[in-house]
Amino acid sequence: MHADTARQTISRSPLVLEGLVKNFGGVTAVAGVDLEVASREVVGVIGPNGSGKSTLFNLIAGMLPMDEGRVWLDGKEVTGQPAWRIARAGLARTFQIPSLFDNISVHDNLMAAAVESGDWKRAPHRAKETMEMLEISHVADNLASELSGGQQKLLEFGRVCMRDPSVILLDEATAGVHPNIRRIMLEAIRRVRDSGATFLVIEHDMEMVREICDRIVVMDAGQVVAEGSFDEIADNIEVQKAYLGRQV
Amino acid sequence: MVSKLSRSRFSGVLASFVGLVILAVLPGFVDPYSLRIVTGVLMWAGLACAWNIVGGYAGYISFGHSAFFGIGAYVTGILMQRDLGIPFLATLPLGILVAVGVAAAIGGPTMRLRGAYFAIATWAFAEMLMQVAIILDITGGTAGLSLPAYLNEFFFYYTMLVVALLAYLGTWYLLERTRFGFRLKALRDHEPAAEAMGIHTTLVKVQAFALSAGITSLFGSIYAYWVTFIDPRSVMGPEITDQMVVMVLLGGLGTVWGPALGATVLWLINRYIWSELGDTTIYLPILGLIIAMIVLFLPNGLISLLPGGRRGGGLMGRLLRKL
Ligand SMILES: Nc1ncnc2c1ncn2[C@@H]1O[C@H](COP(=O)(O)OP(=O)(O)OP(=O)(O)O)[C@@H](O)[C@H]1O
Ligand SMILES: [Mg+2]
Repeated sequence: MHADTARQTISRSPLVLEGLVKNFGGVTAVAGVDLEVASREVVGVIGPNGSGKSTLFNLIAGMLPMDEGRVWLDGKEVTGQPAWRIARAGLARTFQIPSLFDNISVHDNLMAAAVESGDWKRAPHRAKETMEMLEISHVADNLASELSGGQQKLLEFGRVCMRDPSVILLDEATAGVHPNIRRIMLEAIRRVRDSGATFLVIEHDMEMVREICDRIVVMDAGQVVAEGSFDEIADNIEVQKAYLGRQV
Repeated sequence: MVSKLSRSRFSGVLASFVGLVILAVLPGFVDPYSLRIVTGVLMWAGLACAWNIVGGYAGYISFGHSAFFGIGAYVTGILMQRDLGIPFLATLPLGILVAVGVAAAIGGPTMRLRGAYFAIATWAFAEMLMQVAIILDITGGTAGLSLPAYLNEFFFYYTMLVVALLAYLGTWYLLERTRFGFRLKALRDHEPAAEAMGIHTTLVKVQAFALSAGITSLFGSIYAYWVTFIDPRSVMGPEITDQMVVMVLLGGLGTVWGPALGATVLWLINRYIWSELGDTTIYLPILGLIIAMIVLFLPNGLISLLPGGRRGGGLMGRLLRKL
């Protein structure tokens, strides 16, 4: 109890994780992760397939119950709260698998993202701005299911922007997209960061990691095995072990 | 593009206006038998609208809506008995209240789960409630319940018309023009993503279910007073739900006006079979056939055939997968 109070008063970082653990039956997907992300920082999470990155995101977002650990958002503890409450506390996320609202338009996807955040009267205007920023205005009236893979990724990010969150989790936001779309996404992420948001991003694309991440966290078998700048990580032995025999 | 859009909007407004005028003056031009059929169309259009709120907008299939129809019918029927003598209009809000309460009680625990649990729970509840109506004294059991007769077809026609119009305009506004509608469509299409947007999905689903139940109950009340005699089978039978479901699927799941279209077509077929054969046993297989045809050939319903109708979209598929 004492330590908790200390933790809360000392750290007002946008995101603080303490000892997160998640088991799936016999598999320990996340095995004690501690992490603190500073305001406006972009932290990259890398690691081989199955190392627990997405599971970590699901724990933070309250989409999976955790076995152990605690989470603070903007200095407020959100451990064990339902996903919608954590979202309202200022967290936004994208999903690794596209998870758009398929049967409504692009414009309406953005509107639906804003229902619980901010000034509803301004939502149409913000949707318009967001579509312009992401260069998807021309498909505003298309159903989300009619978009190309890259446009879907942009729309996922657009929904995040509509929420005006303080912490953003991106799970492979640019995986497999055209370089053009990657450029749009990159610029959008920078803009949102500059306006005050903090990022935790899972990325497989090292070019992307180098360009946007201030700091990198390497996960392997559910644990953080290395942490540092891109250059530090690039010649780190643990990282090479984690990726041994795999394509980075 | 813009002028085309506003032109189609203009023709839509014009068509609605002409339709309204026709509906308003209709009783002066048709015989009582036909008027009863149109009154039935209005009722079923309203019921389909109610079912569509849960089925089409929340994406949860209810197989128990007959329970709410029956609740409205019995609340009105019981309260209007001679010893109580409560006026018809005063019974309506009470029926709504009971239906909304019951829907919240069933929806609360079952709508957290996958759609299949909800479908089964609603079905089981409706069956159970019908059995209860059969054994209770207050409902008159299988012998049924007679209400004070009010033989004024105009009254029932206009009551159904006004309530159906309110149901449609209300749901149109609520589902297509407010945050509530966005919340519903979001959770229908992707529940975890909706939660990630801060939407309290369970609460919103239960609200939608309760709203739907309330509207259904209202029509049950009017129906009971209209036909002046109810029994468990006629106001709680599963055919009532079946028909609501098929009407919505036929007209266009998750669209505002599709259910009205489906209800009109299907109720006219129903009455035609009735007048030709004096019996509607063949109607059930026809319903089954229609469902199969829609799933295979017309997944977006009749409304998708109209100009300006909804484009393709996999709503039906998503709904089925959700089970
Ligand atoms: N719902 C689940 N049930 C059982 N096991 C799961 C579940 N989700 C994840 N796992 C397991 O947990 C481990 C971590 O998976 P996770 O998806 O978090 O990895 P990841 O780092 O995101 O991988 P990738 O780079 O492929 O996306 C894997 O062994 C996976 O099989
Ligand atoms: Mg993953």
